[in-house]
Amino acid sequence: MERTQELFEKIEGYLAQTLSEEEVLAFEKEIAENFELKREVEKQRELHQVLSDRDTLDFKEKLQKISAEVKKEQSKSNTYFLYWKIAASIIIILGVGTLLWNNLNKTDSFSDLYASYYTPYPAEDITRGDTANEWDDIVKNYSKGNYDKVISELTKTTSFTTLEQFGLYLGNSYLNTGKEREALLQFETISNESRYHEAANWYRALTHLKLGEIKKSSEILKEIINYNGIYKEKAMQLIQELKE
Amino acid sequence: MSNPKEREILEGIAAGDTLVIKAFYKKNYNYIRGYILQNSGDEEDAEDVFQDALIVMYQKLRSDTLDINVSIRTYFYAICKNIWRSRLRKKRKLIFDNELIEVDEQLEASIIEDIEKKEREHLYRKYFLRLSDACKEVLSLVFAGNTMKEIARITGYAEGYARKKKFECKKSLLDKIEKDPIYQELKIISEKES
Repeated sequence: MERTQELFEKIEGYLAQTLSEEEVLAFEKEIAENFELKREVEKQRELHQVLSDRDTLDFKEKLQKISAEVKKEQSKSNTYFLYWKIAASIIIILGVGTLLWNNLNKTDSFSDLYASYYTPYPAEDITRGDTANEWDDIVKNYSKGNYDKVISELTKTTSFTTLEQFGLYLGNSYLNTGKEREALLQFETISNESRYHEAANWYRALTHLKLGEIKKSSEILKEIINYNGIYKEKAMQLIQELKE
Repeated sequence: MSNPKEREILEGIAAGDTLVIKAFYKKNYNYIRGYILQNSGDEEDAEDVFQDALIVMYQKLRSDTLDINVSIRTYFYAICKNIWRSRLRKKRKLIFDNELIEVDEQLEASIIEDIEKKEREHLYRKYFLRLSDACKEVLSLVFAGNTMKEIARITGYAEGYARKKKFECKKSLLDKIEKDPIYQELKIISEKES
């Protein structure tokens, strides 16, 4: 059904009861014969009825306004939240940065401390009469600071471990070639009963210091102080500096 | 409804109190939005359902036919869910959510009846409010029962132009309503009935 101004005015007149009696009769006859027209009349009747309820319409309009306001407020608070998140991120980045910076500086100062206390374990003279030649080469290389050679010789065979000072040589060689963990393992193999135990502890403490593991280092230093041996003096100085 | 706070909310809604309605909106919208988004709806659906449910409550309050013995929230959520269920059905979508209706049957039945009756009304209002200001003005005057002469005087249009304007606005409104998928579905249902 084509919607024309004429048709609409007829329907409106009919609904508003402003048509003449004759017109009403004619229109009702038309409606009865035309289902589409009937539907159109019903539709418009309902439209008029619903939209003449101004209160509900106003209420709906109010809801739309409120909805828009709530949305705006929420997106605003989301924006604020976003700003807060950005601010918090910056603070965290600064914090982590400072922490890292401090740590790096600390690590620097620890390695300075390590450098000022570390001297390689001195090579001892080999007791003559043993299978001297092989030992001599290793000790010579160790004294000269050819640590890679010492490592490769000493790790070739396990027979050297019978001489515990070689454990210290190997550990020191590792320590001088950037293999701190291997050094630690090596120092730890020297038993409590060994006369090299105190020295091994000292180098353990220094290795932990080099790694920035201050707590472990301090514990070992205390052990050395209690042992009351030749490393006590150095240990006390170092622990004092660590406290500072 | 003996709880004074709940009573205050209902009175606020009935009176169209912006502050009360806004507080209610803020408190409950996200739940309904979440529910509708989870059940194949979009943002616009959520907003429509929420507002139309409030209108159902508003009209019931005004006609003094609101009889609830549960909390407003429970009642309101039941209306929202029923409206959405009814619309989804019209959109011919399946619902896999068993939790869809969670109120007692008696309450549900009375709400559903209201909802089905009001579905077309919601569409009329929705599209009417989307018309241009000029159209809204002219049609409001028409629906308020003014004669064309009066409308011409109020709007300052010539009477002939006011008539033409009225026709164009109403035609465009009806065309838009009929294009809505929910309306299409309602039409099919009412054709079957008649």
